Amino acid sequence: MVGTEAYVTLSAVLFTIGAVGVLTRRSAIMIFLCVELMLNAANLALVAYAYQWAGTGLLTGISGQTAVFIILAVAAAEVAIGLGILVAIFRNRASTDVDALSEVRL
Amino acid sequence: MVTFAILASVAVIGALGVVLLRQPIHAALSLVGTLLTLAVLFVTLQAHFLAAIQVIVYGGAIMVLFLFVIMLLNIEHERKEVQPWLRWAAYGVGLVAATGLIVGAMLDPRQAPDHAVVRDTLQGGHPRLIAEVLYGEFMLAFQLVGVLLLTGMVGAVALVQRPRPQRTSAMIDERRKERASDALEAGGR
Repeated sequence: MVGTEAYVTLSAVLFTIGAVGVLTRRSAIMIFLCVELMLNAANLALVAYAYQWAGTGLLTGISGQTAVFIILAVAAAEVAIGLGILVAIFRNRASTDVDALSEVRL
Repeated sequence: MVTFAILASVAVIGALGVVLLRQPIHAALSLVGTLLTLAVLFVTLQAHFLAAIQVIVYGGAIMVLFLFVIMLLNIEHERKEVQPWLRWAAYGVGLVAATGLIVGAMLDPRQAPDHAVVRDTLQGGHPRLIAEVLYGEFMLAFQLVGVLLLTGMVGAVALVQRPRPQRTSAMIDERRKERASDALEAGGR
């Protein structure tokens, strides 16, 4: 059994890979995929800490896992809305390049 | 140890595929691989229920939605690249951030918890235990997530539906004429 820090390290690596993807990809759908990756990295850290602190009490351990459950639901809602916006933008612009959407700003 | 090494390398390779692969379809499938590997990692962390939910919700619902939209919009691979300096700046920032986080995690080593104790406590993240916390401590969050999902559902439907063509009086007159001529034909027979 490897220590909690190994899981947290893997979580950090996945999170930063996702963050680099958000910075370097241009297509909005690819940015969404990278955000999903970052959410999952955070989930892994939560589950790892739930395992680490489960010895101090059931509530502590299970709370971490329940938080992951709620994050999953929020991610599902976010994907539904985000892809809806993408489809609406694509219908008007025939492109999902985020740099081409600069007229949205104030 | 061996299990974790294999799973971690597969997860990192999948994540790199998401960032580096050109075709959106390939990147999405690569992300599916990472998500399934994370589900197995959840099992090693005594979160069996979450592993099942991860496969069903993420690997099933969310990724199918992604692939569906990618195929529906027929998005081709990105023709233009971001500026090279921006790309290298992003890589540098990522490297620095990852190093900082890893060093931070490694500087604070904890005694690994006793596996038997954790297994007896968590019981593999049994749904009954999770439900007790979800409907107790997390009641407010649970209800807010319910509102969020409802808002998301209504919002998604409102976003993607096409606006109805406005009925003008000319269209209505035309329709009325068509109907009248149809009635004449039917009567003539």
